[in-house]
Amino acid sequence: MRALFFTLVARIRDFLHPAAGDADFDQELELHLAMAEEDKLRRGMSPEQARREARLELGGVAQLREAARAARGLPWLETFWLDARLGLRMLRRSWGLTLVGGLAMAVTIGLGASIFTIWDTFAGISLPLDEGDRVVVIQPFDKAAQRVDRATPLPDFRRWRETLTSVEHVSAMRPIVPAVTAPDGADDSVAAAEMTASGFQLARVQPLLGRPLIEDDEREGAEPAAVIGYQLWREGFSSDPAVLGQRIQIGDTPHIVVGVMPAEFRFPVNQRLWIPLRTNPPGGVRPGITDVVVFARLVSGATLESAHAEVTAVGLVPHDAAAGTTAQREPRVVPYAAGIVPSVNRNSWLAGVIFLLGALLLIPPCANIAILVYARTVTRQDEFTLRTALGASRGRIVMQLFVEVLVLAAGAGIAGLLLAREFSGRLTGMVMPTMGPANLPYWMDFKPSLATVLCVAGLSVFAAAIAGAVPAFRVTGRWRRSGFLGVANRNAGARLGTTWTALLATQVALSLAILPSGMEMMWGVFRPTILGPGLPVEEFVTASLVMEGDSSRFDNLRIEAVRRLTSEAGISGVTVSAVSLLEEPFADIDVEGSEAQDAQARFNSIDDKFFDVFGVRFLTGRSFDAGDFGPGRTPVIVNRSFVTEVMGGPPSPRLRRSGLNVLGRRVRYRDRPASPKPATAGEGGYEIVGVVEDLLGSNDGPMMFHPMTEAPHPVSVTIRAPSGIGLAAGRLREVANGLDPQLRVGRLRSLDEMYWQRRSFDHMFGFMLGAVMVIVLLFSMAGIYTLMAFIVAQRWREIGVRSALGAQPRRLLIGIFGRAALPLLIGAMAGCALALRLHSSLPIAEAGGRSIPGIVPASAALMIVVGLLAVAGPARRAIRIDPAEALRVI
Amino acid sequence: MVEPRSAILQGTLDLMVLKTLEQMGPLHGYGIARRIEQVGAQAVIVNQGTIYLCLVRLVQKRWISAKWGTSENNRKAKFYAITKAGRAQLIAETENWERISGVIGRVLQPAFAPATAGKPAFGQATAGKPER
Repeated sequence: MRALFFTLVARIRDFLHPAAGDADFDQELELHLAMAEEDKLRRGMSPEQARREARLELGGVAQLREAARAARGLPWLETFWLDARLGLRMLRRSWGLTLVGGLAMAVTIGLGASIFTIWDTFAGISLPLDEGDRVVVIQPFDKAAQRVDRATPLPDFRRWRETLTSVEHVSAMRPIVPAVTAPDGADDSVAAAEMTASGFQLARVQPLLGRPLIEDDEREGAEPAAVIGYQLWREGFSSDPAVLGQRIQIGDTPHIVVGVMPAEFRFPVNQRLWIPLRTNPPGGVRPGITDVVVFARLVSGATLESAHAEVTAVGLVPHDAAAGTTAQREPRVVPYAAGIVPSVNRNSWLAGVIFLLGALLLIPPCANIAILVYARTVTRQDEFTLRTALGASRGRIVMQLFVEVLVLAAGAGIAGLLLAREFSGRLTGMVMPTMGPANLPYWMDFKPSLATVLCVAGLSVFAAAIAGAVPAFRVTGRWRRSGFLGVANRNAGARLGTTWTALLATQVALSLAILPSGMEMMWGVFRPTILGPGLPVEEFVTASLVMEGDSSRFDNLRIEAVRRLTSEAGISGVTVSAVSLLEEPFADIDVEGSEAQDAQARFNSIDDKFFDVFGVRFLTGRSFDAGDFGPGRTPVIVNRSFVTEVMGGPPSPRLRRSGLNVLGRRVRYRDRPASPKPATAGEGGYEIVGVVEDLLGSNDGPMMFHPMTEAPHPVSVTIRAPSGIGLAAGRLREVANGLDPQLRVGRLRSLDEMYWQRRSFDHMFGFMLGAVMVIVLLFSMAGIYTLMAFIVAQRWREIGVRSALGAQPRRLLIGIFGRAALPLLIGAMAGCALALRLHSSLPIAEAGGRSIPGIVPASAALMIVVGLLAVAGPARRAIRIDPAEALRVI
Repeated sequence: MVEPRSAILQGTLDLMVLKTLEQMGPLHGYGIARRIEQVGAQAVIVNQGTIYLCLVRLVQKRWISAKWGTSENNRKAKFYAITKAGRAQLIAETENWERISGVIGRVLQPAFAPATAGKPAFGQATAGKPER
């Protein structure tokens, strides 16, 4: 084993410095020859004879040098490198194959790698703290709802801190996003945490400057202290080393900076600023704080199970006696990372499944590439025959073809990795908004890990094996059987016959089958982008309005704020809703008289000015009246998408005339949503009183609007300011601050920005769909091109002779390219039938697609044009065949 | 490309070079070739150049070490010496060789009679008919 290791080390060293070894070896051989000659001279031979004998005994110097070089370096690596360079050259020459194959592999590998990256990000996450795996979260679990409450009431925290022995540094925190004003930083919201000082002891991370929070900071009456993160120190204090003791305005309260934490510390989730959490306020109750996240560190010797048993024994404080909830709730101890974000077990079988899925996804494009590689290899028979004659084995030739495709697959793998890096985070953010890159805990990111790189490498090798090695084995096997005698007989032994025609026809048919549906989906996706949102989104600004501390006065303050803003010049309207536009939650619903299963709609609670401010047209029915906002009324207004998608109604222009009875029908929630909470409707459900046009053009999805009866907190305020939203945003802050310093304005964003951000997912989907369409078309084109190029190469002599005998180029083309027309026509006919079938059975409109009249014949025409374009190149080559050259070979 | 005739032959050559260096002390390539020629083993190697390939392999495995020095003719020459690992390997290989050659010898005797000639000494085993 040692000898093997030393040999490997020596070989690598010699591989890196080949010249030194060569020179040494040459010198040794020279010395050997000189000494042998001297010996022989002494024995009485003539100088010539001595030299000759010495050389004979030593053997061929050149061969010895070669053998020594092979024994010293890494010859297989050199061969591989040679093949790779040859592969690169071939890829440049067959640029069509490179483009089609590379694109297809890159997209597929990218998709596989993205899925793997997402899995990898959520798999086996642990906290990057000293003994981070011993940090746990204690949280109540609702047995009835099978749901974990991340937050815990303060009394429970206090009890656990006092009684638990299997955990230490029992801490609590509450994430906040206050407005922060630092000396060098603009007034901005910062992700901060109110945290007990014990949280810092638990983390075991030393501050960069100063000290962490201490228990004395939590004392009532203590001077407000703050520990700032590295980023805030850099941006808000210009990395001032004398930052300690300076003041920072957090909300309304100036705080003294007592410490600066290192850049990598953003505990407990993703915070950059920490202030003390007072958990023992006078009277035991602190207004504004009810729930906290509780976490602790297992003491030495304790396990998750022992801590869990102890916590279960201690139990929860019965804090909601009326509801009697403690009977259904019990505390649980879970690893910290898993308690903050959902995670999966790294060692689960899921990794294998994902890899397999990626591999399965790769098979169709790779099979396509394999067919093209096969055809190209057939046309390179002369080259391989020559190599075989020079001593190359079949394995060597297969290896060369494998490496050629591996080079392509490696390039595609790198592109796929970049795609995964770019899209996996965004993809997760779009599917699970709370888990997007912006909201992710600081110990997680979507950068492809070493495991992802290995996964991509595996997928690339797999792709190269299918697309390179399989056709190489097949074609060389065929040659071996036919005896490699085809050097003079061009393309002997190789045929692209009926199978090839059938394959091509199938490919054309399948491509054509998916084209119309795909194009309609793409049109549905990109239409709003092309036509715009149908609303002057740039005139709207939206923000959340929230009350810090006592929220009992919030409703009155909110009404007053809206009144003041409405009277401002440059503001044409102000409306309030429970949640912001475009951020409405989904709910499962049932609609009276509708058969639709699994119906879903987004919902919101709005004020009476909502539709006026957005300028939404009513298609039928009425808007909310004053009575709707009173108790006992349960009206709901739905949008056009709701009628068409959930109730199966006709498109909007015909809605009024259709006679579809929408008004008066009732909608029920399967589970009554907690937020935003619509008025309790009981068994009767909510009655549809009006139908509005979709707010943002098309693709709004089904929406339900309730009147805002139960004053929500916080609320979303939307201001329409045709003269510019910048001023309106500023006024909103001033008005809020003027009314009450505790009334906070947060998440100030323009609707324009929100709209395009939301569309980005559709855009990504559209582009991926577009890429698939282009790849499908390119594959068909490449297949037809390959077939025609092969036919022209195979029949060039015949074409030449016919041309010499006076055949018209037109007749030649008809004769030869009838062959290309066959798969094209069969494929087009079968494709049309398939497309019509698929088109009528797929729920394209429900999936966001939009109908295009005459799309099936248009797609067939496109397919034929693509096919003819592919024929153009080989056709030109056929006409240019020199008759003299063809006759000379005969 | 010059290659040993078989894996057995390659192992045998390694063994011969190691034994030569153990017996003779540090030697240059030509010296090793001459010594092997003297014991009559040149018949099993195609040519002397093969020894240099063998030396490359043994140096890589660190069973022998190489150092440039001056030859008896005042020429610059590379001298090879057996290392501690090489001696250990030589002992192990010699035992292995003796065991195998004993078995082969018994098998090749017509009546499968027990071997009476004792263990062959180094050099004797290769002095017989060369494998052709």
